Amino acid sequence: MTTSTPALEPPDDARRLERAFRCAALDPALSGVLLFDLEPRLIRPVAGLFTAILGGPAGPPAARIPLGAATRDEDLWVTSRLERHRDGIAFTVAPGPLVAGAGPPPLAVVPDLAHLSVAGMRAAVQLIGADVVCVEQPGLRLVDRPRARWLAVCRSEDSGRVTPHLLDRFALRLAVPGLRTVPEGLSSDSAAPLGAFAATTEEAVTRVQEILGPGAGPRRSLALARLARALATLGGQREVTAAHCEDAARLIGLRVTEPAPSADRPDSGEPGPLPAPLPHPGDTGRRGGRSNRRRRPEEEQPLLASGPAEGVGSAPGAPLGMPYPEDDAVALREFMPLRNPWQRRSGPASARGAVVGTRRAHDLRDLALLRTVREAAVHQRIRGYEDFTVAPVDLHSNLRAPAPERLLTLLLDHTCRGDWDWQDALTPFLQWAYTARAALHVIEVGGADAADELRAESFAARGVLDPRLMTALYRPRGRATPLAHGIEQAARTMRQAFRRQGSALAEAWLVVVTDGRGNVPLRASHTGRLHGPVAARGIEDSLTAAAPIAALDRGRLRVAVVDAARRPYGELPFALAETLGAMVVEGRGDHGS
Amino acid sequence: MSGTAPEAGRPGASILPYSRVVGQDDLKLALELNHVAPGIGGVLMAGQRGTAKSTLVRAFALMAHGELPVTLPINATDDRVVGGWRLDALMRGETLEQPGLLEEAHDKGILYVDEVNLLDDHVVNIILDVVSTGQLSVQREGLAAARQLDFGLVGTMNPEEGGLRPQLLDRFGLMVTAADLDTDARHRMIRTVLAFEEARARDTSEWLTDAERDNAAVRDRLRAARERFAQVDVPDPVLRLCAEAAGRLDAVGQRGEIVATHAARALAALEGAERVEPRHLLRVLPPALRHRRPEAAHGGTFDWGPDDHARIKDLFDAG
Repeated sequence: MTTSTPALEPPDDARRLERAFRCAALDPALSGVLLFDLEPRLIRPVAGLFTAILGGPAGPPAARIPLGAATRDEDLWVTSRLERHRDGIAFTVAPGPLVAGAGPPPLAVVPDLAHLSVAGMRAAVQLIGADVVCVEQPGLRLVDRPRARWLAVCRSEDSGRVTPHLLDRFALRLAVPGLRTVPEGLSSDSAAPLGAFAATTEEAVTRVQEILGPGAGPRRSLALARLARALATLGGQREVTAAHCEDAARLIGLRVTEPAPSADRPDSGEPGPLPAPLPHPGDTGRRGGRSNRRRRPEEEQPLLASGPAEGVGSAPGAPLGMPYPEDDAVALREFMPLRNPWQRRSGPASARGAVVGTRRAHDLRDLALLRTVREAAVHQRIRGYEDFTVAPVDLHSNLRAPAPERLLTLLLDHTCRGDWDWQDALTPFLQWAYTARAALHVIEVGGADAADELRAESFAARGVLDPRLMTALYRPRGRATPLAHGIEQAARTMRQAFRRQGSALAEAWLVVVTDGRGNVPLRASHTGRLHGPVAARGIEDSLTAAAPIAALDRGRLRVAVVDAARRPYGELPFALAETLGAMVVEGRGDHGS
Repeated sequence: MSGTAPEAGRPGASILPYSRVVGQDDLKLALELNHVAPGIGGVLMAGQRGTAKSTLVRAFALMAHGELPVTLPINATDDRVVGGWRLDALMRGETLEQPGLLEEAHDKGILYVDEVNLLDDHVVNIILDVVSTGQLSVQREGLAAARQLDFGLVGTMNPEEGGLRPQLLDRFGLMVTAADLDTDARHRMIRTVLAFEEARARDTSEWLTDAERDNAAVRDRLRAARERFAQVDVPDPVLRLCAEAAGRLDAVGQRGEIVATHAARALAALEGAERVEPRHLLRVLPPALRHRRPEAAHGGTFDWGPDDHARIKDLFDAG
């Protein structure tokens, strides 16, 4: 076995990555690789490295299958090709890219796991690490062992939004926030593996249990054990030892506990592939005796360091290094995310959402033309017409992701809150937005950590489950109140919504939570500079900015002002509501100061 | 690809042998009872991810029938479910019917639905229609057919992803929940799975030979129980006990009692007993009734705890 010189060694994360990919290529049970916090610009080169490994040193790189928010079942399971023949149109059906059988295993690449489509998520659940996959699609029946490998990228902070059902399928997890470069070529520091897996010993299984602790799920235990076995196999070893398990744990970013003292521990048995330790950022623990042992040159494989650490958890100095960030994530998740979206009928029929599939149609609205022609092509000879004929039964329309037909715009004035919890006042609006699957737009004024306290800030979200909403609701209050700027932004948001979505926007709510006092004139918000005394200018500007909202489509837009009831200017919210044409909601019964 | 460990060609060869699945005694028992007494009507297995539910179903089918079960994947199209024309024949101008999965399930006796709670609504509706009426009627794309179908449903589901409609829930004869393994069992599980994968990668394996021998023993035991099933007596007091227990547990409908009786009889047959005893019934009451209680029908859990046991304890103590 050759060892690359230190000067040529790629950075740690790059080496971890390459080693993980080799393990995933070796063992189909490790087919899912999930990278947390990978820089977006590196997705392509990282996928390139993986496909090169899958293709092997002599062969071409494996095929890449990009999967994203618009991936449909039709893109995955069956490949159909329309062809013009002498006697009409014909088409052929073949297994789709995920289940095609020839060549090196293909690589499914998911650039953002939190935004993968339902079809993509369901394919992942069916395929990653599965013993068998069944495909039952028109023209194709297939029962086979899945071959595809998966590479998915996800931000740690998004991990709580992805269903555990899906996350759990990814056996190999690596947090690589520090990865900056990816080796272009394959290193040659891995020995050719034996024809079979290294044999797992009792010692190795015990060590896996020790490292993960009693609370780990069975899939995590199996993943670590398989990873250790893959490392041993790649190292040309015949047996998997405890040291391989420790290497595997470090590879995925787990700290390694000291092994439990055991008299019969076969510590002095055949040495495992103990590597030259790689420096780990913040790795301050003492080195274990075994890793300091003198080793024969052929044992010095460039695996990862074996050294002690304390407790399971993030590697020291790497707060995002934990391979299971979803365990600590607090996030609201979609209800039944793996079900296809329900088709809502209460609002106007819309053909605006992203196409996520096709379905049979009974009218000519939003036809999926290719699918319709393909269905018609199948039956041409049977029908016996001279010309190509499309029958009603051939019609297929697009199945679309739900486009928001409702919008909730929240204007939150943090300076009116104080010790008041506005949750009760806002709950009915948030509940409406949740049940109506409304899009969300939040405008904040007077937050303590605003980038510019003279200006309002805003964000748009797909719905009220967005974690930013909870942060916004409990943001500490600051000093300035650019209420006029916030109302101006609200007016712009509503105008854009009605213009962009046209008649598709069935209902919109603008909810303003404020005491009506603004101490930042609109000009100051626009210029970023505050000159001279403000007096009542901020309040007057707020009313001026509110006037255009009253002129918007009131058939669809409803406005509410939640009264913060603060003295001595308790009439201000009512003046604002009158200008907005809004109802006033009592925010709190007890009048604050 | 370089470095790929050898894999067996048959997909079934990648399934852990049934006799080697560690733990999950309730799941195994439910599958075996359903095999001995197909009148039970199927099994629903609920459990957290990674509890070997799918592996167990496939391993059982391989052991008992020598082939994988008829499987309905979550993204199956409706023409594959109810049947249609063969596309390649249509392109040649011929009409050849292609049986759907439901017809195949009738021939094999079981339809296995992986992740049954993720099925699209229209497919659930089709299945419910067929299992409720016993008839599949197809009137589509020039195809007109009606056929009597009878099969059991075996499904797996992860409750984290949502529940099932009460109508579909009721169609599963037994319902079992996968248990978490203790430390010792988990150790054996890891050891077993890895040993299987390593054995499979070799040309010959004593491990696989031993597992197949044990599979054959289970198969023989099941076959003997199936033959004995009809001769097992169900005394009237046991039937009354069953009705009383179902009443106390607020079981909805009467299907639960019928299934419980079948299951108790199958358990007695498995044990080689000549008649059903109260202990047989007590053992099968949880899987027969847990999903037929009002709280389960309204999205509640399927727990069966000490309180449930306490409600019927005196019945069986007296018996």
